[in-house]
Amino acid sequence: MDNYELIEHTADIGIRVKADNLDDLFKNAALAMFDIMAKRQTPTIAGQTQIEIKQKADDLEELFVNWLNELLCLSATKELIFCAFQINKLDENTLKAIAIGSNIKNYRVNTEIKAATYHQLKLKNDESGWQAEVIFDV
Amino acid sequence: MSEIAQVPLEKIDNYRWRIPKSYKPGMRVPGIIYADEKLLKDIRQDKALEQVANVAFLPGIVNASLAMPDIHWGYGPSIGAVFATDPDADGVITPAGVGFDVNCGIRLLKTNFQYEDIKDKIKDLVYALFNDIPSGLGSKGDIRVSAKEEREILVNGSKWAVENGYGTQEDLECTEEYGAIQGADPQAVSDRAYERGKAQSGTLGSGNHFLEIQVIDQLYGRDICDELGLTLGQITIMIHSGSRGLGYQVCDDYTRSMIHCLQKYNINVPDRQLACAPVNSPEGKAYLGAMKCAANYAWANRQCLMYLTRQVFERVFGMSWQKMGMDLIYDVAHNIAKIEKHVINGKEKTLCIHRKGATRAFPPGHPALPDRYKKTGQPVIIPGDMGRNSYLLVGTQKAMEETFGSTCHGAGRLMSRTAATKSINLDALLKELESKGIMVKASGRGTIVEEAPAAYKDVNEVVDVVHNAGISKRVCRMRPLGVIKG
Repeated sequence: MDNYELIEHTADIGIRVKADNLDDLFKNAALAMFDIMAKRQTPTIAGQTQIEIKQKADDLEELFVNWLNELLCLSATKELIFCAFQINKLDENTLKAIAIGSNIKNYRVNTEIKAATYHQLKLKNDESGWQAEVIFDV
Repeated sequence: MSEIAQVPLEKIDNYRWRIPKSYKPGMRVPGIIYADEKLLKDIRQDKALEQVANVAFLPGIVNASLAMPDIHWGYGPSIGAVFATDPDADGVITPAGVGFDVNCGIRLLKTNFQYEDIKDKIKDLVYALFNDIPSGLGSKGDIRVSAKEEREILVNGSKWAVENGYGTQEDLECTEEYGAIQGADPQAVSDRAYERGKAQSGTLGSGNHFLEIQVIDQLYGRDICDELGLTLGQITIMIHSGSRGLGYQVCDDYTRSMIHCLQKYNINVPDRQLACAPVNSPEGKAYLGAMKCAANYAWANRQCLMYLTRQVFERVFGMSWQKMGMDLIYDVAHNIAKIEKHVINGKEKTLCIHRKGATRAFPPGHPALPDRYKKTGQPVIIPGDMGRNSYLLVGTQKAMEETFGSTCHGAGRLMSRTAATKSINLDALLKELESKGIMVKASGRGTIVEEAPAAYKDVNEVVDVVHNAGISKRVCRMRPLGVIKG
């Protein structure tokens, strides 16, 4: 994946993600997170599962962290690696999305991500588009 | 790292450095870092010192925001952080002061074997352990539990495991909190945390978690070694794991709720990850009750991992684990918050002690210790990286006086995982380890490189500092022979 870069962090892993709009920023961050966790073993994947996600938060940063942690929790409990996302609604406080994933057995696991953190979390929007930085506990 | 922290430091003595309270407006106490000049150079390379200062903002913090010599950059507090808050002075509890992997911890077993007895069996043992002990991301254990049983685990911890045949009463005596911290509240654990923990009992996990076969290669305190039955050349086993998905979810759930407590209780912290609530608030009490559940789950998990390890040895050597002398020396938590009694300015106080990447180190005679360790002090187990040493230490009175009865927890990272992956070649590393007589098996491909010795500080230097500073005492040193990584 080339739409994210890793940020140096001594113990954990951080990423910097860019996107033209907020929907893509949320999607790209989630794609990057699962890209770090696992690589697909087969070119095509059968048996995809769709999961509906709804999140509410006080602000965009909280919504962003909740989104990523929600996906990690679902990934762990449903034994899925998510590979595609559809954002149906996204504003400062609300997110409605569909996450599409397939069984972890179809992937070669690299590392576990325990959680996305608020530490040094940055979300910004300027003339070049949206950018987010987030540090994961691994 | 490009940015070098310019945090001001005052030298207290050869092993202690102070970040003055005046460094940032809002700091309630100074920061104190245990390190020597050499380690301090590494510590200054990342943002850990800034995090020590940030912790000093927490309401009700007592004496100082402390950092052990294995301190490194984390999220919220640094890894290697120790701090106490006073519940009677609006002191807070923060999930970030414990970490996502609640009661990540380590246990050390001894055996009757000498190196010569098993040197030809190391390979068999490593393969058998790797095969029998589920490890890696999302791994599931063979020890399956029902929903009712999971609830029992959350309350009874290792005691549940022992009652179900996975250990003995002696194992409980040799576990911090006897393997079950009191006051766990299963009602405070969310359904999804239950779900995330359900299948993972008896699994090692991934990342820095490991199981290691070691040999004792140096004795320091001869009297204590005799007391513990430890000799040069003796084989030991170390197990490092935590509360897995259940703990991560407890931390996530309560970080979510405590973000809102910052406003509710008018708390000002410089990093949102330091989300917290007063220990005595409904949110604080609920977190503590849930965190204790995760802690008990972790103790039960390490007990099950030890059971599986004993079984593997029984199969490989064809005799009972009792005959092989596979007794637990001790099990310590290194990510936990505890309500403990400490003497502050001559008065006994009940405080909330946060240890995030730090180990309890109670002195001889402490009432929390079982009789067998009343004379020696509490065993403290310090794992190193897979290519260097690990240590057994004991707690001291000085730790009680200076560090709320705490010491370091390991080597501490030096290099980021990405930097390690870029600069270390897997094949060369495996060859190097093999030449040192160390055999490694890992489930995650990236894990071996990310966890390579070069990515860590030298544990020998870290242990030198805590020993010389007097906050724990060296007993013996081990070196690895076989390593199973998650």
